[in-house]
Amino acid sequence: MTGWRRSSGSRQSGDSASAGAPLAVDRSVSSSTIRLGRVQPQAPGHRTVFCNDREANYLAKYKGNGVSTTKYNVATFLPKGLYEQFRRVANLYFLTISCLSFTPVSPVSPITNVIPLSLVLFVSLVKEAFEDWKRLQNDMTINNSSVDVLQEQRWESIPWKKLQVGDIVRVKQDGFFPADLLLLASTNPDGVCYTETANLDGETNLKIRKALEKTWDYVAPEKASEFKGEIHCEQPNNSLYTFTGNLMLQKQTIPIGPNQILLRGCSLRNTQYIVGAVIFTGHETKVMMNAMNVPSKRSTLERKLDKVIATLFGVLLSMCLIGAIGSAVFVNKKYHYLELWINGDSQQFNPNNRFVVFVLSIFTLITLYSPIIPISLYVSIEMIKFIQSTKFINNDLRMYHSETNTPALARTSNLNEELGQVEYIFSDKTGTLTRNLMEFFKCSIDGEMYGTGVTEIEMGAAKRNGVNIKEKTSSSTAREKGFNFDDARLMHGAWRNEPNPDMCKEFFRCLAICHTVLPEGEESPEKLRYQAASPDEAALVTAAKNFGFFFYRRTPTMVYVRESHVEKMGKVQDVTYEILNVLEFNSTRKRQSVVCRYGDGRLVLYCKGADNVIYERLTSGNDELKKISREQLEQYGEAGLRTLCLAYRDLNPETYESWNEKFIQAKSSLRDRERKLDEVAELIEKDLTLIGCTAIEDKLQEGVPSSIEILSRAGIKIWVLTGDKLETAINIAYACKLINNDMKQFVISSETDAIREVESRDDQVEIAQFIRETVKNELQKCHEEAQSIIHGSTGQKLSLLIDGKCLMYALDPNLRSTLLSLSLSCSSVVCCRVSPLQKAQVTRLVRKGANKITLSIGDGANDVGMIQAAHVGVGISGMEGMQAVMASDFAIAQFRFLTDLLLVHGRWSYLRLCKVVSYFFYKNLTFTLTQFWYNFQTGYSGQRFYDDWFQSLYNVFFTALPVIILGLLDKDVSASLSKKYPQLYKKGIENAFFNWKVVGTLACFSVYQSVIVYNFAIASSTTGLASAGKILGLWDISTAAFTCLVITVNLRLLMMCNTVTRWHSISVIGSILGWFLFIFIYSLVFVNKDLFFRIYISWSYKIGDVFQGTYFTIYVLMSTAYFYLMAILVPIVALLGDFLYQGAQRWFYPHDYQIVQEIHRHEPEAIGAGLLEVGSQLTPEEERRYAFALLPRERSKHTGFAFDSPGYESFFATQQGVTAPQKPWDVIRRASMRHKTKSPRHSQQ
Amino acid sequence: MMNSNPSTPMNAHAPSSSSGGAGSPDSNAPRRNSKRPKYSRFTQQELPACKPILTPKWVISAFMLVTIVFIPIGLTSLLASRDVVEIIDRYDNACVQGSKSQKVQHIQSQTTNKTCVRSLTVTKRMKQPIYVYYQLDNFYQNHRRYVKSRSDNQLRNLGDENDTSSCKPENDANGMSIVPCGLVAWSLFNDTYSFSTSNNSQLAINKRHISWKSDRDEKFGSDVFPKNFQNSSFIGGGRLNESLPLNEQEDLIVWMRTAALPTFRKLYGKIEVDIEAGETINVVLENRYNTYSFSGKKKLVLSTTSWLGGKNNFIGIAYLAVGGLCFLLATTFTIIYLVKPRHLGDPNYLSWNRNPGGH
Repeated sequence: MTGWRRSSGSRQSGDSASAGAPLAVDRSVSSSTIRLGRVQPQAPGHRTVFCNDREANYLAKYKGNGVSTTKYNVATFLPKGLYEQFRRVANLYFLTISCLSFTPVSPVSPITNVIPLSLVLFVSLVKEAFEDWKRLQNDMTINNSSVDVLQEQRWESIPWKKLQVGDIVRVKQDGFFPADLLLLASTNPDGVCYTETANLDGETNLKIRKALEKTWDYVAPEKASEFKGEIHCEQPNNSLYTFTGNLMLQKQTIPIGPNQILLRGCSLRNTQYIVGAVIFTGHETKVMMNAMNVPSKRSTLERKLDKVIATLFGVLLSMCLIGAIGSAVFVNKKYHYLELWINGDSQQFNPNNRFVVFVLSIFTLITLYSPIIPISLYVSIEMIKFIQSTKFINNDLRMYHSETNTPALARTSNLNEELGQVEYIFSDKTGTLTRNLMEFFKCSIDGEMYGTGVTEIEMGAAKRNGVNIKEKTSSSTAREKGFNFDDARLMHGAWRNEPNPDMCKEFFRCLAICHTVLPEGEESPEKLRYQAASPDEAALVTAAKNFGFFFYRRTPTMVYVRESHVEKMGKVQDVTYEILNVLEFNSTRKRQSVVCRYGDGRLVLYCKGADNVIYERLTSGNDELKKISREQLEQYGEAGLRTLCLAYRDLNPETYESWNEKFIQAKSSLRDRERKLDEVAELIEKDLTLIGCTAIEDKLQEGVPSSIEILSRAGIKIWVLTGDKLETAINIAYACKLINNDMKQFVISSETDAIREVESRDDQVEIAQFIRETVKNELQKCHEEAQSIIHGSTGQKLSLLIDGKCLMYALDPNLRSTLLSLSLSCSSVVCCRVSPLQKAQVTRLVRKGANKITLSIGDGANDVGMIQAAHVGVGISGMEGMQAVMASDFAIAQFRFLTDLLLVHGRWSYLRLCKVVSYFFYKNLTFTLTQFWYNFQTGYSGQRFYDDWFQSLYNVFFTALPVIILGLLDKDVSASLSKKYPQLYKKGIENAFFNWKVVGTLACFSVYQSVIVYNFAIASSTTGLASAGKILGLWDISTAAFTCLVITVNLRLLMMCNTVTRWHSISVIGSILGWFLFIFIYSLVFVNKDLFFRIYISWSYKIGDVFQGTYFTIYVLMSTAYFYLMAILVPIVALLGDFLYQGAQRWFYPHDYQIVQEIHRHEPEAIGAGLLEVGSQLTPEEERRYAFALLPRERSKHTGFAFDSPGYESFFATQQGVTAPQKPWDVIRRASMRHKTKSPRHSQQ
Repeated sequence: MMNSNPSTPMNAHAPSSSSGGAGSPDSNAPRRNSKRPKYSRFTQQELPACKPILTPKWVISAFMLVTIVFIPIGLTSLLASRDVVEIIDRYDNACVQGSKSQKVQHIQSQTTNKTCVRSLTVTKRMKQPIYVYYQLDNFYQNHRRYVKSRSDNQLRNLGDENDTSSCKPENDANGMSIVPCGLVAWSLFNDTYSFSTSNNSQLAINKRHISWKSDRDEKFGSDVFPKNFQNSSFIGGGRLNESLPLNEQEDLIVWMRTAALPTFRKLYGKIEVDIEAGETINVVLENRYNTYSFSGKKKLVLSTTSWLGGKNNFIGIAYLAVGGLCFLLATTFTIIYLVKPRHLGDPNYLSWNRNPGGH
């Protein structure tokens, strides 16, 4: 997708090139606006859209609405695709070698290098083309979907790609918006429509968009065609949630905001249809501007691989150097039969110019030894990883979450093996560890606490302290989702008898009015559903409903609440509140306010928000209540609950009116609207009166504590980075088993009295200095203590808790190293109150500073930074939004699936890739070394040992497939054992399977094997070998040696396997047989005297020396007994070393996985182990296959006795009232009866 | 590459129908399109497989098996090799005396008498056919410049007579193409041998079919005749009978099957009578080929063959050695196994059980 970005770059340059035209338009427009004396758009680079006027817009040359996400087109595919391929160093290297092999210095003909290179390029290009083809098809479907456009007072259906800026379009219910539109009118009253933005940000709740009042009428085509407006708006940009512009309609300027914009990719809901004007089209739409690429990540193993390849290149050069020196010495001996003094066209062997001999020999030998660097390595690895991610990870039933219907998704296939080496996990809390399923749990009104529930965390805490709290059985009241509150004092109007019923009323009204929730469905308490931006909000409104303040309808200006028991018990009345302003929630404000007017004219501002934000804005006085409430807040926080403070302020109309003017001004400003709105909001959100606070329970995700325990046993350290309060974070950490009382806890918090005291003095410089000093001292103290504990023998585990404010100072370059070494010695770290930026910073600190492999997991937009900063980013899919998933490398539905992803898939991928990579090195090194040994016998002339075709097909044909099978199917222990023995994962963290020691051992065996293969094959050359007394020549020997080599390296692969499936055997035997098949045909090719062959010969003649040495060699060889004796002897001797090594290693220094294999060696692998969890969802066909899989492998011991038939046992058992466990064959019997097809196995029984 | 098109309206995200927050989830709603992966043994990575574990018993049995198989093969091969009678006679220094330059002068002179007589004693009865080889040492027939200096097309097809570009530097003489061209042909070995027994009866040498049949039939043309051969100023070796087609010039064919190593033998001919033990063979040889300028050696070899070919102890010794080594290893492992057995699958060997608390 980097290509996309490039093309977008060119598009931008196109924009600037054509910038002249819009500028001209701008000038004419601005002159007219000046004449009108209206507000002018402040931004210089704005665009003007003439609605419903194609001619006028034509001048501006806007882009069409067709989109293209393809990298290539027919013309650019080859050059661009090849360019992409040759950006890889390995391919460039082989291209250089190929070019070299066309020169006379080359000892091999060009086919040797050109064929493998073209094959590799071909495979890569086919893959590219396939992917691009899919993108093209996708684009075509989108571009050709139709949309209704206003043409001559009628709606005409045209494809999306024909749509132009300024067109008036109609989008029907559930339809997608074809471009970024200005909402003009909707069939709903008040010009409201609902949109779903799941494609944009994954949020499934509906959002309201509201048309400008002036344009409400343009619904019918006849009316809409009269619409002639001018839209002045910002240039296309990628900010999804902002828009500034003005609509010039009937000489009036009306500000337009994001509320009137319908973005491409969203869909229309709950609205019959809408009419809109196209503003941005095609690639200029916000969603397309957002289609940025996740920066591609490379795995650590691959980076290690680069180093090994560089080393190999060094080995290659030194081999060439030795050969070149040898050659320069050799030519001096003047063998007359070589006629070295006649130089002809080449100076290569000129004894009088030995420096040239030396230099040219280096090039010769580089060409000869080039296969030391495995050409097909990268393409093979890519294929393996691609299959691993698309077939294994994406299809794993153990990682399928049936509640949300979400399977795991590998969004990149680069990082599979990285999953097997993760040492640090950075986890978000909300939505990741916890469910983000909010339930109204407790509240405090005017200092009085309500709610009798006990959270799991409190129970856990109580258990830790030895107190045994009996779990209260949930009361008879049917609990609604989002409402888990039980206190009779507030229910069914009982609050009227509480000490402060007025405050209660304010509390409930605040809950019912101050929000941005949308009701959906029938207006009855049972059937109505709430659409909310955050689950907290929904829980609060649901709570209000349960307290008797049922919010059931919203119009843009009104909120309708059905209030019960307000004036007197049992009375139900519908009350409407006029919503004057909504001051929306954002992360800097951390609060939300609504200004509303009661029916009786009372003006109230209701506000809810984070405790510290609200407390800052409370009116002075009533300190007692504030103190009590703060204590209660802390209590709630300790119980792991999420708190919000509610407050209100009565406004007098004059204050409000003057403020409202400023507000409207801010709202219609084109520049910095956000900031201005925030500033205006500050003016009215003050002098608040505290009503109370709410506490919402955040439920833990399923299986989180056990997963965390497994992961920490695997040697993975888990850090929780959360925006929550310290107490909440600690409690969640306890509940997740991240921290326990046996651990030494270091707490670095800014919530100390000393800091509070300094803060109260309100001197920013002093505060900063003081906190920095404190943090520094704390850090050093903790660090020393940690060191002494680590060096002590207690083996106590450590944990660190730090809050965002302290972290800010601790991340300072001076303190960073102390923080790092302290936190690395802790087994768990909790950072609370951290901003998204800090999350990313902490991740980067460990990644860069400690050079450890990190994984970030999160679910929300605030985790995007950390997900991208880590080596591996994992997004939780299916819950909050898609932003985290879009930025992630892997997406899973639940935190607990991380164990499968890491311990099973990651570990296996790591093992497999290590084996694949080491095998590639081994086989190519062995191959090249035989050539190297031979060079000593040829006067260092660089004579090749093998035929060109042998060499070119060695990598891509004779040894290619088995290693891919190994990379796909090898597994040391089964998935369930991987999770049962999480400690096995530690080997990956230590990178125990691919380090210099492994590579070194491998190289030793390579040298040994090449020496054996070469020398044993050579030893046969001196005497006659057949009874006919004939002597073998060079090419006979090389064919024999190559045969031995192919057998050896393929058998060696089998020795590396932990499991041998049918496919292993087929591929290994197939590769060896493939070699024989090839050589049988190849050594006959010469016989063929037909035209085709003549052409081939003359062609190969032109590109190099024609080679016919191997003619008939294999038949000659196979007529000798010697050949067979060699073919048995050489592989066995060559592999004896490995066998001895493996045997001794397993015996004396067994790896952990080997022990586990031995422990469970007699157990059949639990087939379909993961299926039991999802067993209920098996299709009949799968059920049958599963049952087959469970069948005992041996032949049934069926004796023929009538009641011995397996099915009867359970039959009788049920007759006697005993339910025998269902046997697999029962399932089979039923399944096969149902399908009427008799399976062979069944008939056997 | 796995990014889905973000603007695709069709790829509505999984829980798109569900409502967030307080709305009840669609757990009861009929699943429109389940994304549940299909079960297959491949995707769940549960393919049936055998899991070989290299237990000590396996290791020992494997070594024993190799021992049991290899020792008999080794013995048989050695016996076969022992039956072969081989006489090797180095004659290059015996036929020409003097310093290196004298030798070179002698061999390069057109006029000197190069005939040389050697007598060989047969120690063991040699059954026919007795193969006559010449062996050259330090002769780099495998040098890159040498190996590629030939034209297979020219050797095979009459029409490709001028196809000599690969033959440099021996591609043409006096402006005409040489057939056969190239260094390989040019340096054709040209010592000749004739044999007689002690009772002066000539031993006939059969030089027919000393080359590979495939070479005669396919690589060398029956209508290609030597032309312009050895006509340049510097003569490299033997001359050819210009009236015989190349496929009948068997000495050339043998010579042109280049050897793999700088020490090599080539078949000269066959003696098709038995020679009794104790007999002396007189060899009259024309010592023409120049190996003196590069200190090469020339040897004459008479050898019988067995089913395994000529005298070659290597393979027998290799088999015996490997068999013996495996026996030794098997015994060592057995002793270790008996002295210090390792309990298979003992959880105490797990690294985290060995040093608890450590990482």
